[in-house]
Amino acid sequence: MSTDLAAKLKTYRLSEEEYNLMKQLLGREPKLVEWPLFSALWSEHCSYKSSKIHLRKFSYRNANTPDMDGENAGVVDLGQGERVAFKMESHNHPSFIEPVQGAATGVGGILRDIFTMGARPIMNANYLCFGELNAPRMKYLMNGVVKGISSYGNCVGVPTVTGQTNLHPRYNKNILVNALNVGYFAPEQKMALSKAKGEKNLVVYVGAKTGRDGVHGASMASASFDDDSDSKKPNVQIGDPFYEKLLIEACLEVLEKDYVVAMQDMGAAGLTSSSFEMASKGQVGLVIDLKKVPLRDSTMTAEDILLSESQERMLLICEPKNFEKLQATFKKWSLDAAILGEVQKDRKVKLMWGGEVLTEIDPDLIVEHAPQYKRPYSKWHYPNRVTKLNAPTANYQKLIEKLQKEMKLNSQKWIHNQYDQRVGARTAMDCSSSVAFARLDHTGRGLGLGVGCRPEVMLMDAEVGAFDAIYYPSLQMALKGAKPLAATDCLNFGNPQRPEIMSEFVASVEAIAKASVELDAPVISGNVSFYNETLGENIISTPAVGVVGLRDSVEEIIPDQFTQAHDHIFMVKLPWVESNIYADNFTGKKTEFTLNDTIKVADFIKICTSLDKSIKLEGLKVSSIKAVGLGGIGLTCLKMCTDQIGFDLSYDLALDAPEAAFKDHFYSFLIATGENAEKFEKFLKQHFEKCPVEIKKVGETRLNEIKFTNQLSMDLTDFRKTYQTGL
Amino acid sequence: MALKVGITRFLGTNCDEDIRKWVLSKNHQAEYLWYEDRFDVNSYDMVILPGGFSHGDYLRCGALAAHTPLMKSVKEFAEKGKPVLGICNGFQILCEAGLLPGALLRNDSLRFKDELTTLTFKNTNNPFSKNAKTDQKIVLPIAHGEGHFYADSENLKKITDNQQVWLTYDQNPNGSLLNIAGVLNAQKNVCGLMPHPERALHTWMGSTDGEFFL
Repeated sequence: MSTDLAAKLKTYRLSEEEYNLMKQLLGREPKLVEWPLFSALWSEHCSYKSSKIHLRKFSYRNANTPDMDGENAGVVDLGQGERVAFKMESHNHPSFIEPVQGAATGVGGILRDIFTMGARPIMNANYLCFGELNAPRMKYLMNGVVKGISSYGNCVGVPTVTGQTNLHPRYNKNILVNALNVGYFAPEQKMALSKAKGEKNLVVYVGAKTGRDGVHGASMASASFDDDSDSKKPNVQIGDPFYEKLLIEACLEVLEKDYVVAMQDMGAAGLTSSSFEMASKGQVGLVIDLKKVPLRDSTMTAEDILLSESQERMLLICEPKNFEKLQATFKKWSLDAAILGEVQKDRKVKLMWGGEVLTEIDPDLIVEHAPQYKRPYSKWHYPNRVTKLNAPTANYQKLIEKLQKEMKLNSQKWIHNQYDQRVGARTAMDCSSSVAFARLDHTGRGLGLGVGCRPEVMLMDAEVGAFDAIYYPSLQMALKGAKPLAATDCLNFGNPQRPEIMSEFVASVEAIAKASVELDAPVISGNVSFYNETLGENIISTPAVGVVGLRDSVEEIIPDQFTQAHDHIFMVKLPWVESNIYADNFTGKKTEFTLNDTIKVADFIKICTSLDKSIKLEGLKVSSIKAVGLGGIGLTCLKMCTDQIGFDLSYDLALDAPEAAFKDHFYSFLIATGENAEKFEKFLKQHFEKCPVEIKKVGETRLNEIKFTNQLSMDLTDFRKTYQTGL
Repeated sequence: MALKVGITRFLGTNCDEDIRKWVLSKNHQAEYLWYEDRFDVNSYDMVILPGGFSHGDYLRCGALAAHTPLMKSVKEFAEKGKPVLGICNGFQILCEAGLLPGALLRNDSLRFKDELTTLTFKNTNNPFSKNAKTDQKIVLPIAHGEGHFYADSENLKKITDNQQVWLTYDQNPNGSLLNIAGVLNAQKNVCGLMPHPERALHTWMGSTDGEFFL
């Protein structure tokens, strides 16, 4: 290989085989301007080349989830005319380099994926993983990411209603920032598609001007980090939520007025991916003059323009007769609308520089014929599964103190309070709840939103962890009386060229796909982020999942927290998986687990969904309900405390050995009631009659008291003080 | 009686639709007022300035909005003694436009803050607290990064002496002088507050105390 070629391959992050494929598809040597096109569109980020063959396993759809054929996000039909579009996406690499802008533009990008379809964004959520607090830059990264999310989401006027933040040393060198958005379609509201069509229709650029920020962002996000991630700062995009807000209003207005044939946001790989994808999906060609792109810097080259990831821009197709009206609408919102070219019958994307033809390529060559890799992996075999757990030897008092010190047992209120959680006046349950709810405008029903994936569980077992990533938020949803309807995922993994990581990836995809079928909650959109790796160190495989669900109203949703003293606390437990994750971490032992194959978790979740209705039908007083998290009943009760109300678990002598109170069981939940204990137990037994669950009273709520066992107690006021602190 | 309520819309206003829903739920008429346009002050009974990030909050919160053609009409409207309510960014705009005394600085935590706050009505002799009693306590959410009310000592004395303090926080969330959450103009027809009454109208929202305002 010539040194010139080697240098090009390095610059454009393409392999020699990919170069050969390029040549073969083109039937000639690629021109200079074609290198960046292939580099961007064949990057892992844009082409899903390592994951595509496995992502087909998410093909399950039901009557509520139309096949969107490669559109920007999945859509769920909620009935009664209402629909929602939703998707989750990663912005991990940029956020590690520049946390405020990286996280902010992550929110901006996912918003555009939603409103480009014509839906009004109504709920933001996020899923974050950071390293240990004392790792280099970590507090700076945490503060920056939270600031980025809040400054962007608050300004565009979309409430951030739920989120999950995890801390683990395996994220010290690669943090995860995943943003999720849900958009709402009112009855009769039209959906916009991204398929370009109609010969002679205009290709119109709208939104902010193009600058040099984010050039090569997509290929940067498709590579591992080395020591010098700082030098990648110019690859990070800069966002302006004010422009985004104007863009939302202007785009929704032109869609409503029917001025638009097709619309696509300029996300990763900017103008390149939006134009090639619109042409490829519509099976048409486009002529685009790059000299007509509105620029911030007039010295930008064609390559810069093609690859810029400047934010708040969209590409749309409109009929010539509507252009003036469209331009006037954008002008009203103080935004540019410039004609770049037109749609042509000949299925080629023709890039011009004034009168000069830079290149002319069949878009399918790049979009449809991108390489696909069958990366080696092996079948999952539960390396840490045992038939019986050994009793842990942890000192639980010290364990709790350690978790508090590491901010793992913490309300995260300091994060959530920086988000506007109520703009839009739809929020019925905010970040303080395990599941958020928004009131749907036209029917008053409650749309639930939850996120899942517990890195500690992934670390214990990738398959169990991936099942858990969708089961756990679905269970939380069900316990609030909402039926899980659909899911989105953001698959954050390390280097896919390493078989052990690819094996975890495949196990995760298969588990989530299987669970989604069982739950009848199709995975309708998603994103893959590979190469979360620095100098050979990989993150914990982290398939984050978002779940939406629906309940009949937003009234009387039973909260997570205890509300009054002297309630009976009941536990309902399904014996699927058991472990002692926190205790094992504390004593430095490898986490083992037991797994009962005969248990049908999805059936349990379905029965939990109707519990809320049964409670209301029987007129029972239930004050709180919450799924049991890691650290078992003990830590879950701690999280259910308020400043006044604690609990006493010493009631149940079976829990008197502390390991019983702190054992993880997937899945169980706690429910607190002021009803007569026998009557309530009878009710629960009846409701779960068809389910192999254990039901028993485990304790009572108490005023100003925390008591786990006869030997282990805590001061409620002290605990609450620590619990509420943050960075 | 059904009122005709004008709702201001600047670039970046984001609580406009929430205010419209609130106004319509009271069987009033709601009409948007665009920032570039003047309006006939005689054709509206009330004007509400919703929250958001008007004109990106560039320069200072509310500073650019305060100099729009629309605000010229809002000033005329206010000078006629007609009721004007500014919420959050709307409050900031009214201060920048000189229709309300004082200014709103960054929260002393230097962070945006969203939480439920307990407030006390200090003066109910105005068009937006006719359902409340003086010293009554209510709960409303706040959501702002710049809510720290400031006025120099001379003006602060004027505000106090003239009973222009409308609402105070029971636990100061942002460093506001005298715990001020809302103020009135001298004539008591222009009212501004940082908390959001339109986000506290139903039990499911966590509070119904927004009902005291409209």
